Formats: sequence, C-alpha cells, structure tokens
Amino acid sequence: MKFLEKIRRYIRISEVAPISRRYFIMNAFDGATTVLGIVIGAYAAEITNESWVIWSGLGVSLAMGLSGFVGAYMTEEAEREKKLNALEKSMLTELTDSVVGKASRFASLWAGIVDGVSPALAAVVCLTPFFLSSHGLFAINSAIQLSVAMALSIMFLLGVFLGKISNRNMLFHGAKMLFVGLIITFIFFMLKITQ
Amino acid sequence: MIRRLILDVLKPHKPGVVEVAEALSHLEGVEGVNVIIYEIDQQVENAKVVIAGSSIDFESIKKKLEEMGATIHSVDEVAAGKIIVEEVRTPQDRSARM
Repeated sequence: MKFLEKIRRYIRISEVAPISRRYFIMNAFDGATTVLGIVIGAYAAEITNESWVIWSGLGVSLAMGLSGFVGAYMTEEAEREKKLNALEKSMLTELTDSVVGKASRFASLWAGIVDGVSPALAAVVCLTPFFLSSHGLFAINSAIQLSVAMALSIMFLLGVFLGKISNRNMLFHGAKMLFVGLIITFIFFMLKITQ
Repeated sequence: MIRRLILDVLKPHKPGVVEVAEALSHLEGVEGVNVIIYEIDQQVENAKVVIAGSSIDFESIKKKLEEMGATIHSVDEVAAGKIIVEEVRTPQDRSARM
C-alpha cells in the first residue's frame, strides 16, 4: 500500500482529522498572537535591530513547536491508549499489530506534529518581513507594519477556514478572528501610549 | 481448494464494512465477498462474512481479518473441491426443527 494511502487510511480509522483541525487553528492563532506581541513589544521598546525580533521570534517558535508537539503527543497517546484498551477488552484480543492499533499510534504522532508545526509555522511567516529587512530590502518600521499586517491576515484566514468547516459565512468568521487580533494590537498600542 | 467460506466475525466499528470487504476481495483466490452486520454493540459489531473464490486461502483470510482488527468467532460453512456442494436438507433436519 502506498505511503499516502496508508496515512489517509489511518486518519480515517482513528478519526483524528477533526481534532487535528482544532489543534491547527488554536495553535496557529497562538503562534500569530505571540509574534504579534513580540513585534509590538519591539516597536514599543523602539528596537532598531531586526535580529532581536528574529531571534526572540525564532526562540518562541521553537519553544511553542516543541511544547505543542510533546503536549499534544502525550495527551493524545494517553487518551487513545485508554480507548484502545477498552476496545481490546470488548474484542477479547490484542489489537497492537492491527490497523486499529497502528492508526491509534499514528493519530498521537499526527496530533503532535500538527500541534507543534502550526504555531511555529504561523510565527515564522509573521517573522518573514524581518528576515527581508535584515537583508536590506526595507526599513525596520516597514517590517514591523508588514509583520503586524501578516499576523492579522493569518488570524483572518484562520477565521475563514473555521467558517468553511462550519459551512457558515466565511467572511464573518474571518472578521471575528480579525477583531480579536485587533483588540490585542489595540491593547499593546495603548500600553505604548500610556508608557 | 476452498471455494466458499462463511465466517462469523467480531470487529471494531472502524475500519468499516466497506474497507474490510474491499481488503478481503483483493486477496489472491478470492473472487467475491459479502459482509453483513447483524449485531451492533457500543464498541464492536458482529458480521457474517461470505467469501467465494476459486482457491481461498483460509490463513490469508484470517491474517487479513486480524490485520483489520477483527477476530473469527466461528467458521460456519466451508465449501471445497471442484464444485460447490450446497447444504442438503434431510428428513432428520426437518424433524429436528419441529
């Protein structure tokens, strides 16, 4: 059986798709919000060097990625092990080597990967303007504006994705997520003004 | 040379009957498969699996079912040989049913 077909089969049997979608949205939102915080913090501190934002952003991405992976993997593994044990009790047989056992182990790993990669990916995307700025493509102030715009866009797109899943108004859901991002940005800027 | 096999199988809800039937039908010597669910429990379901073919390998059927997470409860009918011999009703069977 082809590799991709096998993966699709494990996803179908373990029913991991809805939970990984939830993990993806929640954590990509976390990643975008965290970088938004770092970028606005850098703006408030009047940072003139991009490498500060890049390195703190990458550090946070790595930490979020690792903690996401380990946390989700271990939680899912424990939950699925419990479910598999209950099924084995009903079947009066061991299912470790069956497709059910394999799908269960795959689901834990898959959930961990999604949970780890999504915040790190969103964070790295939001940091791209600073990479470009460090190569002299534009000034740091433009990088800050662009990075904030990218973080807000990611939030909007995540909302659109949620709207698509629930078969509801995609733009409305996108706007709801964007509103949350705007509130965070507003609070940060208020803090800067009252500083 | 097994031509027809009727099995009573206990399986989890996932993989579903479609997947199980498809997997069995791809085995060598198998020409047709029929899976009927006759009892559904909270965790598991019971299925009657009818397999027909030119040369069914029982061990590979058993292995495939185990791979799908299912277990054979009983082998309810086996037809082997050059032709399929159907069950013959005898007067004794009739009186036994009465």
